[in-house]
Amino acid sequence: MVDKLLEVEDLRTSFFTYAGEVKAVRGVSLHVNKGEAVGIVGESGCGKSVTALSIMRLIPSPPGKIVTGSVSLYGKDLLKLPIKAMQKIRGKEMGMIFQDPMTSLNPVLSIGQQIGEVLAFHEGLKGKDAANRSVELLKMVGIPSPEERLRQYPHHFSGGMRQRVMIAMALACSPKLLIADEPTTALDVTIQAQIIELMNDLRERLDTSIILITHDLGVVAKLCTRVIVMYAGQIIEQGSTDEIFYNPKHPYTMGLLKSVPRLDEIEKRKLVPIAGHPPDLISSLKGCAFNPRCEYAMKICLRETPEIMDVGPDHKARCWLINKERANEDDVIQGQKNVK
Amino acid sequence: MAISRLPSDAFEPVHRGKVKEETFFRPSLTYWQDVRRRLKKNKMAMIGLFTIIIIVLVSIIGPVLAPYSYSEMDWSATNKPPSAKHWFGTDNLGRDLFVRVLYGARISLIVGIFASLINLTIGVIYGGISGFVGGWLDNLMMRIVDILYGIPSLIYVILLMVILEPGLQNILITLGVAYWLGMARIVRGQILTLKEQDYVLAARVIGVSWWRILLKHLIPNSMGPIIVTVTLSIPSAIFTEAFLSFIGLGVRAPMASWGVLASDGLSTLQVYPFQLIIPAIAICITMLAFNFLGDGLRDALDPRMRK
Amino acid sequence: MKGCYTGMGTDKRSLVNVKNLKKYFQMPRGTILGENVYLQAVDDVSFHIDEGETLGLVGESGCGKTTCGRTMVRLYEPTSGHMYFEGQDIFKLSSKEMIPVKQKMQMIFQDPYSSLNPRMTVSDIIGEPLEVHSLITNRRERMERIYELLNLVGLTREHANRYPHEFSGGQCQRIGIARALAVDPKFIICDEPISALDVSIQAQVVNLLEELQEQFKLTYLFIAHDLAMVKHISVRIAVMYLGKVVELADKLDLYDNPLHPYTQALLSAIPIPDPDVERQRQRIILEGEVPTPINPPRGCRFKTRCKYVKPECAEEPPLKDVGGGHMVACHLI
Repeated sequence: MVDKLLEVEDLRTSFFTYAGEVKAVRGVSLHVNKGEAVGIVGESGCGKSVTALSIMRLIPSPPGKIVTGSVSLYGKDLLKLPIKAMQKIRGKEMGMIFQDPMTSLNPVLSIGQQIGEVLAFHEGLKGKDAANRSVELLKMVGIPSPEERLRQYPHHFSGGMRQRVMIAMALACSPKLLIADEPTTALDVTIQAQIIELMNDLRERLDTSIILITHDLGVVAKLCTRVIVMYAGQIIEQGSTDEIFYNPKHPYTMGLLKSVPRLDEIEKRKLVPIAGHPPDLISSLKGCAFNPRCEYAMKICLRETPEIMDVGPDHKARCWLINKERANEDDVIQGQKNVK
Repeated sequence: MAISRLPSDAFEPVHRGKVKEETFFRPSLTYWQDVRRRLKKNKMAMIGLFTIIIIVLVSIIGPVLAPYSYSEMDWSATNKPPSAKHWFGTDNLGRDLFVRVLYGARISLIVGIFASLINLTIGVIYGGISGFVGGWLDNLMMRIVDILYGIPSLIYVILLMVILEPGLQNILITLGVAYWLGMARIVRGQILTLKEQDYVLAARVIGVSWWRILLKHLIPNSMGPIIVTVTLSIPSAIFTEAFLSFIGLGVRAPMASWGVLASDGLSTLQVYPFQLIIPAIAICITMLAFNFLGDGLRDALDPRMRK
Repeated sequence: MKGCYTGMGTDKRSLVNVKNLKKYFQMPRGTILGENVYLQAVDDVSFHIDEGETLGLVGESGCGKTTCGRTMVRLYEPTSGHMYFEGQDIFKLSSKEMIPVKQKMQMIFQDPYSSLNPRMTVSDIIGEPLEVHSLITNRRERMERIYELLNLVGLTREHANRYPHEFSGGQCQRIGIARALAVDPKFIICDEPISALDVSIQAQVVNLLEELQEQFKLTYLFIAHDLAMVKHISVRIAVMYLGKVVELADKLDLYDNPLHPYTQALLSAIPIPDPDVERQRQRIILEGEVPTPINPPRGCRFKTRCKYVKPECAEEPPLKDVGGGHMVACHLI
């Protein structure tokens, strides 16, 4: 039995704005095993970042609110914890890095002070001990001459170096789980390669579980063992990386894979875009959220939201097409005729 | 099994043509409708706005309906406390204070609005040229502003008033000349940032003339901060006028401005405190109202607040 | 005989010919009497684009690709160099003489929202170039042309009276494309037109650009950092590093046989959305970061990160043809 580190059950998060309730996350259930890297992919506004922030309980409130659901880390429900206890868990048990390394560091404190703050709060390390540990951390994330770098301020660091510092801070207390929200989106390709390599290396060495939120399928293919595809606040498909890439079941996943050009293709292939746009989550959605853009849309898709169901070992999808296949296969249709 | 409950046509494909590009995500609001919506939601700003409207209406209509004129003296009723006959009482010459406060409101509003219009005109032209042309001219023009900024504005307002004859017209000139610096800086800053926006670059690639870029692209997009600055400069103009009149450099008796009234009331403060308190309250309320409105406008116009 | 295009003078077939383009920005001096400090955004860049062709220009942020594009339409005044458009050196033209040229060269910008004036309706935005170049005579003609352009980019006439903030990023980019098409241009500089868009929308816009190219025989300069997308849309690709073109070749040539160590690293750094391929790939991880273009390294600009660095690299390597139009600037070759 694999060790489940994090388990999210039926998480629903909404933002209450002037125009009404925006249901950003609509019933997300997922789990992360120990030592595993899970990728959450989807377009902007699909709820992937809100899911991560909800797990960390960092949803700005108001206007945001976790409506229902549970987030349990080692069986402990984080959503029921008092704020103080949650603060202890953030950083100590779960670390998070953000997209923009420019704004996530305090510009008036030196890097040493900022890492020291984390160490003092969670580990009670002070003075020399904290400094030694900080040097160790910077070395671990591959920052040259760490002793001098500790005394410097964020503006002395380049984008890639800042993201390394952020990773060092997130890993300061050896958390079990690292949530990385688009960690390489703001970086250049060659720097992105460095950071991905670093994260992969750290996961293997420290056995940290990673949730990687990204829209870049290439990064997922490189780093993740399991993939979750989100659309309009719901998980529409999840499974092992190979299953998702080689045997996608949901038309949206297929569409995503077909719409990106590959560097290694020799023949020029026409890109197949997904027509239309993601839905506005402020309006109530009827049926499958993807149906207006789906080329396989059926009558049922307009009326009812499909449940997520197993399509193979460690592979789930939320699509009526799977039901249709099954209905064709077995005697369900026969059963229907009898009912008639 | 759940599937068996489904109607038999459930899996029929839906035939439809190409997915059309017609879904609008956001409600259709123009920029100004959006501003109005946000302003309406801001209680303090709405209180300010209504107060201003009431002050404007009362100052226009009030003196017409009142049975007294602002300069009419009644020696039989000097220094009367507020009563049904004289709502705010009378001053040491027997003039009705209520009517005089209303006249004061007229003068204060005229000063506030016209001084702001003058500094709007100078500020937008100066700041616009400075930011738009850029380079050495911008440098020169902004250094001049910096130097003028270094001198406390009250000093040269007073100096100007000493040179010019005290009077409403000269107060307007003085205030207009003294307070455009802030406006010029704000307009220049706006133009400088907007000039680098992609849509201005796009207009230049198209070959749009500079004049048209200024009129169609730059000015409409800097309207927000300009309006806020104008609204917030009205109370400071009102206050400066009151101050000048108070120290005897502004409007002269028998004309009634709030500064004059306060000045008159000061001499009898210990005996008839209402003569000072009433104009002081009028000044306070008006300034607060404009400041509330200005702050509300700033929040409503700030594009960063847009969702 | 592709090599002959890049030769001296202006080849008839090349619509655009950029020669030794330099754009330096003067930076604030450290001290009043100190020497002038320049940011060498584009330093001696030459390339040509044939009619109907797409040239991809890739590089990391700060490599000068955007500056290069903007200087070509004279949004920035060039420090030196020539740009021949239909055989005419447009850097020599006065701003009046530029106006007819501007009708033939257009640009599409990166940020779909900031490239549209938020206070103008879509019809005003698309109508502006029509009015400036007097391409329409009356109101009816104007609206008809606007509807036609909206139709071309996959929007409908109902969109005409809306404001930009009511549209999604992809739709805004379509409006930007319609504005560029309004003057019936020959050459369009696409400055990272898709990098701000979502994955599923990127393909829509790229397909649209390709369809329009076919329909109107457009020539593109496609600037981007996403090498996979550039490879998809371009015929040839130029790779820039710190203000210099380090390699320029036919796209398959560049992909199969990258010669410059930077191109090799760049290609290997791009993740491919295929787990099996990713597991087998060996990455060349570049050490360090891009140096600043203010006082860049002397000689070869890549020498600070190159693992093959040799003493010759202190000299600047020229961009030379190694056959078949494959140009590379490296002493190793």
